[in-house]
Amino acid sequence: MHASVPSATLLGVDGRRVRVEVHASSGIPGFTVVGLPDTTCREARDRVRAALLSSRLAWPSLRVTVNLAPPALRKVGAGLDLAIAVGLLVASEQLPGSCLDGRAFLGELGLDGSVRAVTGALPLIDALVEPELVVPAACSVEAQLVGRHRVRPVASLAELAAALAGRAPWPEPPLLAEPPPPPPEPDLADVRGHPAARFALEVAATGGHHVLLVGPPGAGKSMLARRLVGLLPDLPPAEALETTCIHSAAGLRLPPGGLVRRPPFRAPHHGASAVSLVGGGTGNLLPGEVSLAHRGVLFIDELGEFEPAALDNLRQPLEEGVIRVARATAKVTFPARVLLVGAMNPCPCGEGGPAGGCRCSPSARARYARRLSGPLLDRFDLRVEVDRPDAADLLGPVSGEPTPTVAKRVAGARRRAAARRTRVNAELPAWRLDEVAALDARATRLLERALTDGRLSGRGLGAVRRVARTVADLAGAEGPLRVEHVATALALRTQPTVLTGAA
Amino acid sequence: MAERTPAGVPTVPGPDPFAGLPPGDGRDRGPLPDEAYAASLAGLPGMGPARLAAVVRVAGPAAAWARVVAGRGWTAPEVLEALGAHRDRLVRRWRDEARRVEPAAVWHQIVDAGVGAAVQGSAAYPPALAGDVEPPAVLFHRGSPEAIAGPRVAVVGTRRCTATGTSVALELGRDLAVAGVSVVSGLATGIDGAAHRGVLAAGGAPPIGVAGSGLDVVYPPGQAALWRAVTETGVLLSEAPLGCRPERWRFPARNRIIAALADAVVVVESHRHGGSLHTVDEADRRGVDVLVVPGSVRNPAAVGTNALLAEGRAPVTCVDDVLVALGLQPAGRRPRRDPRPAPADDDRPVLDALGWQPVTLDQLVLRSGRHLGSVVLALERLQDGGWVAARGGWYERVAGGDA
Repeated sequence: MHASVPSATLLGVDGRRVRVEVHASSGIPGFTVVGLPDTTCREARDRVRAALLSSRLAWPSLRVTVNLAPPALRKVGAGLDLAIAVGLLVASEQLPGSCLDGRAFLGELGLDGSVRAVTGALPLIDALVEPELVVPAACSVEAQLVGRHRVRPVASLAELAAALAGRAPWPEPPLLAEPPPPPPEPDLADVRGHPAARFALEVAATGGHHVLLVGPPGAGKSMLARRLVGLLPDLPPAEALETTCIHSAAGLRLPPGGLVRRPPFRAPHHGASAVSLVGGGTGNLLPGEVSLAHRGVLFIDELGEFEPAALDNLRQPLEEGVIRVARATAKVTFPARVLLVGAMNPCPCGEGGPAGGCRCSPSARARYARRLSGPLLDRFDLRVEVDRPDAADLLGPVSGEPTPTVAKRVAGARRRAAARRTRVNAELPAWRLDEVAALDARATRLLERALTDGRLSGRGLGAVRRVARTVADLAGAEGPLRVEHVATALALRTQPTVLTGAA
Repeated sequence: MAERTPAGVPTVPGPDPFAGLPPGDGRDRGPLPDEAYAASLAGLPGMGPARLAAVVRVAGPAAAWARVVAGRGWTAPEVLEALGAHRDRLVRRWRDEARRVEPAAVWHQIVDAGVGAAVQGSAAYPPALAGDVEPPAVLFHRGSPEAIAGPRVAVVGTRRCTATGTSVALELGRDLAVAGVSVVSGLATGIDGAAHRGVLAAGGAPPIGVAGSGLDVVYPPGQAALWRAVTETGVLLSEAPLGCRPERWRFPARNRIIAALADAVVVVESHRHGGSLHTVDEADRRGVDVLVVPGSVRNPAAVGTNALLAEGRAPVTCVDDVLVALGLQPAGRRPRRDPRPAPADDDRPVLDALGWQPVTLDQLVLRSGRHLGSVVLALERLQDGGWVAARGGWYERVAGGDA
């Protein structure tokens, strides 16, 4: 007998359809899995056998061959267990062949016959086109997010076999409850002082410009960076689903309600390897931190402590919004559109911001500066020096604006950009600058001067105009950019002291 | 220490035909001057000023060289003391090294490079150093040694200085040169270089630069233009032979020459344990006056100088304080017209908020209480007018329109 069961496996962050073909015939009893299974997948044999026996189903004394088609695609993980078990039940005539019509199966089996959640349920489910979907009960929320299928959550193989045989009704999927409000994000009102750095965050959140914060330890760089994500608007449904897919594929805990509605915030440690930053790995290709931060904020704290090679890997995703990982077995593309926030000390001792403060030797400073390559620095449209706030500011009665107030302004300015058919100003192509970011006479003179006295490179010119457009959007100014917009953009794009050489 | 040939000194390839011959006999250009042997000795590894002075004083340059080449030991107590515990190893090392060096070649290299040399006691040796407690045994110079004739003041300070420190050093250098006082300094980046740039801008008394490396090894590399300008208008000195790398210990030794040449030492900015404080110690050994430019208590580059003031050194607020200390006529307050356009009334509050310490944009916005946009516009205008200097994201006020 023969059975063919639709299921799916994970390649990077995408689900790929797989047909589990089970063939059972008389001969020397045996069980073979072919079709490029990885080790976990090959071990399905033992899990399926134990689960069948635990569920009071028969393990047939037949020669069984399981083929996972297409055979050239590498199958990873235990998510095909359920499809193999059902296929075997049909092939050994314990279930009628008709029960496979229009149904796909996903799930990992425990030895006791329970059906367990699979990693990456959302992208797997998204890849399946069958009208009805049998999934582990633990994944039913994710399954309903896609909304295209009739979802049949099951908790055990015995329950599933009974439902398929028509001996018992299908368990009903739980109703999707209204998701609880997301937990509060850190509030900007906690930040005392730092008006310029706060404004830089506001500009970054509005225009999608990457920010570099340079300052001594204790200046509040991390505190500022963690408050950027609160300024970003909720993810629109399509982006939320896309982001949830990535998190699901990486096995991250999804928020209650299943959908990642708020932009993610990721802060990899400086010991992170290149692979953990951009993704890859030898077995299943896993998304890296930059993909986990897709549509959100990637915070690289202690930029100067990262391996320069690992950081340089970020250049391509920052440019293109995707990461292409190529291995001998497969090539995958990970989405990676992030708002990058870098933070670093001005020098190894941390005191080298203002002239005269540094205790580092010139060679130590030069080594430190080399860690930040010029091309990577160029990706930061906003570069702000932050100092430790004065004692008076820390204790003063005035606190800054709270996050909701600033977020409202950000949303308003983003609408102005959207009205110009731009998602965020950082993505304005060069050919649209003259139309969207025209300059008035004084602004032109200021930029000319900045170019001649070497403060600004030709390459930085476009970035300054984009940032100035965002500044103008925040101020609610229409028409050509005025000199104060351009001057603010210039002041928020200083050459960090770490690179100016002299101490 | 790694085996090292004196860089830049050509070693004779293959078996040396002159090896073992008495020095000077190998070439038919007459006897070599003492300076040739002194320079060869100075280029040996581990040959610091004290050892060089001891062997030259005991044997004279030519005989000392012959003794080193022969690998004979030393018996004079002052040489033994200078050589220290591992003297036998040092003598062997010098011998091996010296057999690869030809004094004639060393001398020709010096002459070809247009460098002058004077051993202690020769007519060309600067009288200012002749009576010193620790004079260099041989001194190399480039430029005009007559520059060492007039009154001299050393202006020293940290390499890691503030914009205020730079402009104070620049003004002092300029005003001293105008008053006819030569400025002695170490040609480093920061305060040293600023003082000499002030001298060069004023075109008064000639500058005197003292280098730690050989006169053909510009250090720090970015100072090449300053070295050239000091050579052309004044004199550049060093006790290190040509090709000598700027090893760490050479700088304290260089500081002693600066202190020995100066009639007074002015420290502009120094960190808590800055190298300038070593120059101060050397000045104290020689009874040379030390004057100090006071700095802000918040300026880490003024911790060392403020500590000197606490010891009771005289403060310097303008060139007259230095001239009076030298017993010269004070220049008097010549009101200097600020050539910069006066800042607009609108920009005044931002300039006032700046103070004399580097600050970030954050602090300026807080202190001036103005909107970020108007602060950055004011900063643009003030930078244009020369009132404000920006370094990275730090802004600092500029004095007097000199920078």
